[in-house]
Amino acid sequence: MRSRYDVIVVGAGHAGTEAAAASARLGASTLLLTPDLARTGQMSCNPAIGGVAKGVVAREVDALGGIMGRATDASRIHFRMLNRSRGPAVWGPRAQCDRGLYPRAVRRLLDGTEGLDLFQDLVTELLPADAGLHGVRTRGGIEFEAGAVVVTAGTFLRGRIHVGGAAGVAAGRAGEAPSLELAEALEARGLEVRRFKTGTPPRVDGRTVDFTRVEEQPGDPVNFRFSYYHEEPALEQRPCWITWTGAELNQVVHRNLERSALYGGEISGRGPRYCPSIEDKIVRFPEARRHQVFLEPEGLETSELYVNGLSTSLPHEVQLEFLRTVPGLEEVRMTKAGYAIEYDFFPPHQLRHTLEVRGLRGLFFAGQINGTTGYEEAAGQGLVAGANAALRVQDRDPWVLGRDQAYIGVMIDDLVTKGVDEPYRLFTSRAEFRLLLRQDNADRRLGVMARDLGLLTSEQAGALDRRLGRVRRVTRWFQETALRPEDVRATLAEADSSAVTTSTRAGELLKRPGVSARALAEAGGAPFLGSEDSGLEDVLAAVEVELKYEGYVRREAERAEVLKEQAAFELAEDLPYADFKSLSFEAREKLGRIRPGSLAQAGRIPGVSPADLQNLVMEVRRLAAAGV
Amino acid sequence: MTRIDTIAATSTAPGPGAVAVLRMSGNAAHAIASGLIESGGLPGAGRSAVRWLRDPARGERLDQAVVTVYAGPRSYTGEDLVELSGHGGPLAPQLLLEACLAGGARLAEPGEFTRRAYLNGKLDLVQAEAVLDLVEGRSPALHRAALNHLDRRLSMRLTDLRARVVGLEALLVQHIDFPDEDEPPVPLERIIDAGAAVVADLEQLLATAPEGELLRDGAVTVLAGPPNSGKSTLFNALLGAERAIVTPVPGTTRDAIEARVAIGGYPFLLVDTAGIRSEADEVERMGIEVAERYLAGADLILLCMDPEDGVHDIALTDLVGSISAPVIPLLTKSDLRQSSGRSLPALAGLDGVLPPIDVSAHTGHGLDELVAALPRLVFSGLVTASADVVLLTRRRHRHGVNTALAEVRAFGQALADGVPAEVASTHLRPAETALEGLLGVIQQDEVLDAVFREFCIGK
Repeated sequence: MRSRYDVIVVGAGHAGTEAAAASARLGASTLLLTPDLARTGQMSCNPAIGGVAKGVVAREVDALGGIMGRATDASRIHFRMLNRSRGPAVWGPRAQCDRGLYPRAVRRLLDGTEGLDLFQDLVTELLPADAGLHGVRTRGGIEFEAGAVVVTAGTFLRGRIHVGGAAGVAAGRAGEAPSLELAEALEARGLEVRRFKTGTPPRVDGRTVDFTRVEEQPGDPVNFRFSYYHEEPALEQRPCWITWTGAELNQVVHRNLERSALYGGEISGRGPRYCPSIEDKIVRFPEARRHQVFLEPEGLETSELYVNGLSTSLPHEVQLEFLRTVPGLEEVRMTKAGYAIEYDFFPPHQLRHTLEVRGLRGLFFAGQINGTTGYEEAAGQGLVAGANAALRVQDRDPWVLGRDQAYIGVMIDDLVTKGVDEPYRLFTSRAEFRLLLRQDNADRRLGVMARDLGLLTSEQAGALDRRLGRVRRVTRWFQETALRPEDVRATLAEADSSAVTTSTRAGELLKRPGVSARALAEAGGAPFLGSEDSGLEDVLAAVEVELKYEGYVRREAERAEVLKEQAAFELAEDLPYADFKSLSFEAREKLGRIRPGSLAQAGRIPGVSPADLQNLVMEVRRLAAAGV
Repeated sequence: MTRIDTIAATSTAPGPGAVAVLRMSGNAAHAIASGLIESGGLPGAGRSAVRWLRDPARGERLDQAVVTVYAGPRSYTGEDLVELSGHGGPLAPQLLLEACLAGGARLAEPGEFTRRAYLNGKLDLVQAEAVLDLVEGRSPALHRAALNHLDRRLSMRLTDLRARVVGLEALLVQHIDFPDEDEPPVPLERIIDAGAAVVADLEQLLATAPEGELLRDGAVTVLAGPPNSGKSTLFNALLGAERAIVTPVPGTTRDAIEARVAIGGYPFLLVDTAGIRSEADEVERMGIEVAERYLAGADLILLCMDPEDGVHDIALTDLVGSISAPVIPLLTKSDLRQSSGRSLPALAGLDGVLPPIDVSAHTGHGLDELVAALPRLVFSGLVTASADVVLLTRRRHRHGVNTALAEVRAFGQALADGVPAEVASTHLRPAETALEGLLGVIQQDEVLDAVFREFCIGK
């Protein structure tokens, strides 16, 4: 007898845990299957969450009721708001987490999720769908069935690890078995498979680092939390450290280049340009005399440090040799060698915006299996896939996030529309509405939608209401409060702004360059300053962008509206693109492959021109008129 | 591969001629041509050979022709293509065409070969427009401009400008997206300077639009004057002088007649308007309003007057005083006069009024002087007269470049005003879109490509 669930999630990394939690929150009975429950929510690379754009995603996941933001808050040992020297529109929160505490927090939150079961076993087979039910079989021979299955297999599909020029070792992550059978099972369903690679740097024993020779990078002393709805207790904070590579390291790497798996020809898959190995950096930018290296703490109870910036696939003795050329690391002991990993992914143009595999109803993919990198990218996809799996089983409308609503929406649209030719990571430059998609306002962008969908607990919904009320109050204060000249004289002088002679509204003064929202609130004795918590920081950042750059924000919002009109022009999945002779050859071919859901999506496919779009509209209308 | 239906047309002009070229493009082009060849078979791709062509149904010989074979995508249209260069004249080309149509091709619509070339990515939009201009061949000056466009000179300028707008975004993004990298942010001054350079180039390009459009659309030259002052006779005389390359266009209203004509190698749009005078009845008044609208948009005005009638009409003098285009007073019907009437006290003091010319449409007196003066007045001093400068020749070009210019300018202004770069950059994407629209192509994700090319990034 098989056990039956509404939704089965395969894999318990950052995609799988969010998928399972979202599915269960929507009321679907959910099973999370993983080969090793002890590694649920594991941070397999850098123990850090967030960054530019990625930090916004972590907060979007939280705004949608997800677990990443809370788990980060609960395990954070170092925090910085990246881009703080720039405007709040591009701030990127980034936390260094305790590698042990983060998965524990994830597990605690999963265990507290109603309707979610966890089970430890490796899925080896996907059973053919029968009467709308998918089945999976584990290595232990146990079968489960469900209306929908979400596969989040990470780098485990035919994973192969390389350290040095040897042929490599089959592995899912360092020290873990790969998943071979599942890869074959998916390929057997007719899916296109390709291969990517990525790498990690070595880790070192902090007790062997000479901290007098490196630069301390303290965390921000701010009261920041990723979660909009919950307050996790704060932990003791640790600094990071900065040092630099030099000419000596270049020589070591050059001398051993042919022993690198990357340069020795062992690895064929494509790697991410934004996360190059040290071999890559030295070969591609030979004129750069030095490269920055961050030493990042792995946890409160360990002295281990993550050597960010020195990702490599050179043999471990070469790694040790080049590490010891770096100031501060002269006597260093390596605790774990860096390595490169190659793995299968399924090119994501095969997916719908719900992350359901096209043509395989009820099968969803999320995370690295879709050709992305990063915990946050995985979590965002997991949440969307898990929620849509539940919606599918419940016969409810699919749920898709727009490019103007969330970075998660930008990412998924990029994936299914353009595909990937290197591991995909989010950047602000991928978003056309950067001013709208900020870290301070994900709750305002997504909270109400999440609540209406059923993704928020009643506790979260209550917190959302309080936050929305506060934004309105603070915004109104700026719009309505006239500040007297004598109260703002010092504030304006500090911003090199000319004094005012009559009482002027705070919102007007905020438009001046260099005048901050907080300074005006303090000058005007604003009542909301009484409660200093992380929520206030968000609100002040929001007011600063939205009032100071009102015209720009409005312009982006208007452009987003145009996009919405195009998005409303739906394109059926079975349009005979090959017959649309008024379209360019390239457009016909690409549209036929990607099968966009709307005119807006069609317009984002590289190679589809504005003229093609116009003709597409005509062809679709002609087809409709012909009654086909 | 998508099925592409096969089109055929005689590409050379009908009528007597040594050679006529029939062009056939599409999936079946090779097969259809092959079916016409008597012996020797279809030449290989990229080759030509002389072949006898016969009607496959009746076996009757049609013509002897040079058969040139192209295999897509290496052809004009990007599809399989065959050219049959046979004998000209009224019959041979027609027989060949009919045989191709009987073989399964269909008659091409006007411009369809070029349209397919564009759709298959062989030409961009600017080049396709240039082909049209070349075929219409309105004037040697436009011909030179169109050849430049066909040679991608304008396309390359636009592509380069767009790449530089993308480059501005890349300079910004380098530090927004990668704040913890080895390299510091690009100094704001460098971004402002790069923006200013793009603005300067866009301005320079935009400045060519009036001239380019003049070359394409022709200098609007309005014949105006009192009723019965000889305007229509002169209009016909000017057309008659260049009859071979005149393209008459129906008048936009019953009261004005337009005609395109090349004079001295430059394009003109001649407009014959209703006569203007103060005491007009209502119907006549409507015609006069039309005339006034033309006068307001004119590049040059030929003010026709019969000196015997006098030139003191107040309506006319007012009008001439209120328009900006240069005015040449033409003293018409000179054959009916003894002495030259080259003094016009009523107009003498007005700006832009040139010395009058005596003309007679009947004897041709003064027409040579006028024809020599026209191109000089409108086109002299323009760059096209000498150099092969890239010009914007269509309103569409001007509009796109203007939009891009306004956005990049606003971007620079915002930076100078202290607006943070990530906010100011809101202007860049619309600028890119405007330039992309001109070429009719979209490329994406180039910002990141530019960043990775220029900066060493990665931890």
